[in-house]
Amino acid sequence: MPLPAKLRVFFKRRNEPKTVISVHSERIVVLVSILLVLLLGLPLWWSTTRVYRAELPAEDIAKFKPIDPLHIPFVFYIDTNMSITVDSINKIEKSAGLLIDKQRALYAPNEWSVRYQASVCQGAAPKIPGHYTLSIHEASDASVSVDIAVGRMATVSVPKTAAIEPVLAQLISTMVAKEEQEVRRRRPGSRKSSGEAAQKHSDRALKYSAEYAVTFTLLNEDPVDGVSVDWDIEQAVSQYIQPFVDALRPLTKLTITSQVLHHAGSPPIKPQRASNYTYLSSDMLTHFVNSPSWNLASTDPISPMLNFMLYVPSLESQPMHIIQGDAHKQLRTNAFLVSQWGGITIANLPKDTIPGSHIVFSQAQMQEYMGAFIAQLREHIGIRRDVPLARKGTPLIKNIRVRQATATGISDWELDALLRQWLVDNRETAITTLQSLTRLVDSMQNMVVMDEIKAKVDQSLFELGAIEGALNAFDPSNAPVTDHLKACQNAAMASTLAESAFFDPSMVSMLYFPDQHKYAIYLPFFLPVALPLLTAIKRVINARKQAARNSKDTKKTKDE
Amino acid sequence: MNLWQQAMRAAGAILALYTLLCCVALAVADPSGEAKMEQFFDQDDHTNNWAVLVCTSRFWFNYRHISNTLSMYRTVKRMGIPDSHIILMLADDVACNPRNSYPAAVYDHPRKATDLYGDNVEVDYRGYEVTVENFIRLLTGRVSVDTPRSKRLLTDDKSNVFIYMTGHGGEDFLKFQDSEEINSYDIADAFQQMWEKKRYKEILFVIDTCQANTMFSKFYSPNILSIGSSRKGENSYSYFHDYDLGVSVIDRFTYYNLEFFESVDMSSKRTMADLVGAYNTTLIYSHPGVRTDLYSRKLNETYLTDFFGAVQNIELTTEAFPIGQPESP
Repeated sequence: MPLPAKLRVFFKRRNEPKTVISVHSERIVVLVSILLVLLLGLPLWWSTTRVYRAELPAEDIAKFKPIDPLHIPFVFYIDTNMSITVDSINKIEKSAGLLIDKQRALYAPNEWSVRYQASVCQGAAPKIPGHYTLSIHEASDASVSVDIAVGRMATVSVPKTAAIEPVLAQLISTMVAKEEQEVRRRRPGSRKSSGEAAQKHSDRALKYSAEYAVTFTLLNEDPVDGVSVDWDIEQAVSQYIQPFVDALRPLTKLTITSQVLHHAGSPPIKPQRASNYTYLSSDMLTHFVNSPSWNLASTDPISPMLNFMLYVPSLESQPMHIIQGDAHKQLRTNAFLVSQWGGITIANLPKDTIPGSHIVFSQAQMQEYMGAFIAQLREHIGIRRDVPLARKGTPLIKNIRVRQATATGISDWELDALLRQWLVDNRETAITTLQSLTRLVDSMQNMVVMDEIKAKVDQSLFELGAIEGALNAFDPSNAPVTDHLKACQNAAMASTLAESAFFDPSMVSMLYFPDQHKYAIYLPFFLPVALPLLTAIKRVINARKQAARNSKDTKKTKDE
Repeated sequence: MNLWQQAMRAAGAILALYTLLCCVALAVADPSGEAKMEQFFDQDDHTNNWAVLVCTSRFWFNYRHISNTLSMYRTVKRMGIPDSHIILMLADDVACNPRNSYPAAVYDHPRKATDLYGDNVEVDYRGYEVTVENFIRLLTGRVSVDTPRSKRLLTDDKSNVFIYMTGHGGEDFLKFQDSEEINSYDIADAFQQMWEKKRYKEILFVIDTCQANTMFSKFYSPNILSIGSSRKGENSYSYFHDYDLGVSVIDRFTYYNLEFFESVDMSSKRTMADLVGAYNTTLIYSHPGVRTDLYSRKLNETYLTDFFGAVQNIELTTEAFPIGQPESP
């Protein structure tokens, strides 16, 4: 096939001696190619292989330091028909503040500090977490007594002869300082300062989550030789559990499910036999849960799970008791708590139960079991005992009475203590997560950081900033207003956002590539491009040198 | 070709300089061990145990890797870790392979006394789900929102995590299914990310592959105890060949580990030091390595049940809450 005219010219030209024009055009081609590679190729390569990294607000995140305390103010309203002056109110506030400061232990260098404060006003408190009414009455007898209600209210009875100020200052400072200590003790960062009991307590309580999956299971060991069982769980839940769930609703969601497992099989441990009953000693209970065969799986993907199990032993091992200590003392509740897992109650059937019968636990019968479950649920959620005060008195206050919220399972005082705990915990989680995130992004230069991550980080910082605003505000009349609930919600939001930024699935797309891999990938691409380019450059340089030499020669000849 | 040679020489020089710079940068970036030591928690009890068991091999001739992993699975389950806390990544199911003359069974000994596949094996990641990416995502918790609970490692700062890996590997890498590989840097970085977010209290990392000890040489996060089957430059060898199946059924290192575990149960007080002391190089054919510099406890004070068992702290409920009862006056 004959070559096209143009190509023929091209090939022909190659063998012909180089004219000035052909050298010139070759130079232009080489220059254009070089420019193309430099101006178009390299930027294109760079921009297509570059890792996208949004700039995180590292300085704003580093601004949070453990040493800067979070101030949590309490506002106490003194409601009384006894005469009390502004002066003495100021005096109470001042001496309560001093007493709180006195009870504060030193902070470890990297412990996130919190500072509880108390201010005192006159009148009745608004119904906002963080505001409490102290109602002062004249006592009928000679001792000071305090009756703490379920709501945010305490009644203080002071005898006529005693001074009110020191009593109130002691009451306020004891409540506030005690909680500050508890909050500190419960946090993971301050383990070293904690006592053993507090350590145990913090092991039981689950970490804060916006949702918990709570499952009630009725477990029948053996319906074949025993009885078939059922329970009125819906009524029992709506009667005993739902009020508790509703009370916690502003903070967290408890999703309740229930199931009945028939033919469940025995636990991996064999109960010991006594004359007319069987028993489990407390050291056997650690292996009670038969995880391979009891199906307690949840469909919920991430919420912490809590299982509460009513276990009906087979008829031959009935009645089954839990034995406390060496003295063979039977545990009245017949229930135990499994840390981080839930709780178990062993249900014994009436003595005259005949095999093959069908037994239904009524709502009323379940009140006792549900009471045990509520007690365990409270431990798992992290509701402390003795809130706001232990029952034993202080030097000035003889009798303390704390009422239990028998209707809902959680008093307002307990709820507030819980939300302040979560406020402090979540704030710390949010800050440390954001700081980990910036450290991580700094240390792994290959890591992609999308704009969504930055948006979440910014939002989280905003929520963190909002905490202080919610805690320390003033109303139009210049009285201090603090909203612990709002602050807790801000903190929870901040930590959720920070965690979702940290655990974003987009954060792993690029991983470590050794340099050999990079050479192996790029060499086959770039070598074929680079070789002709380099030879062309060499030729141009040679030609220039040649031309320079030629012109020199001609110059020389001319000079001669 | 003078210019070409010069160019190559220049490129070589740049390469050398670059490598040097990288080394220096790495050395500078590496924080001193002392600073890390301060971050250790004081050694109180963990509250939960997790196990991640990874087999990275496919195909019938890698039968032994599948049985390695299943033997480990059996052991941790026997010691009390529930299935919900075991993440089993098994690339290939040799149990159902047409070449398996004992269908639906996997054995780790020609005697065929125990069927590892048994009646209750819960594989969480199987087949092509066993990838480097999924493994890293699992460890770091960066899974997509629709991932079920069984495929998530829901650990916290009180979790002891046992990680076992087996497959074909070499210096600083472990192959996943003959198609990709995980690097020792990848695992080290994943552990650092876990540490940053307090996703573990302690990790026990065990790996059975060729040149296994190189795989944990890059770790830099605290509280990690690592054990590998062979030194750099050494192979790890298989054990029993089964003539009915036509393949080797287990690797030597894993086999001797399991043999040791046969004498251990839930309430055992045997320690990591006992386990490590039982390694016999003449039987294993390679030199198992133990890395303890990142680990804060002594081996003879670390019970095997700290990693292989499951703790359950219980507490008697002495008093029921008076829910729904009338308030006493």
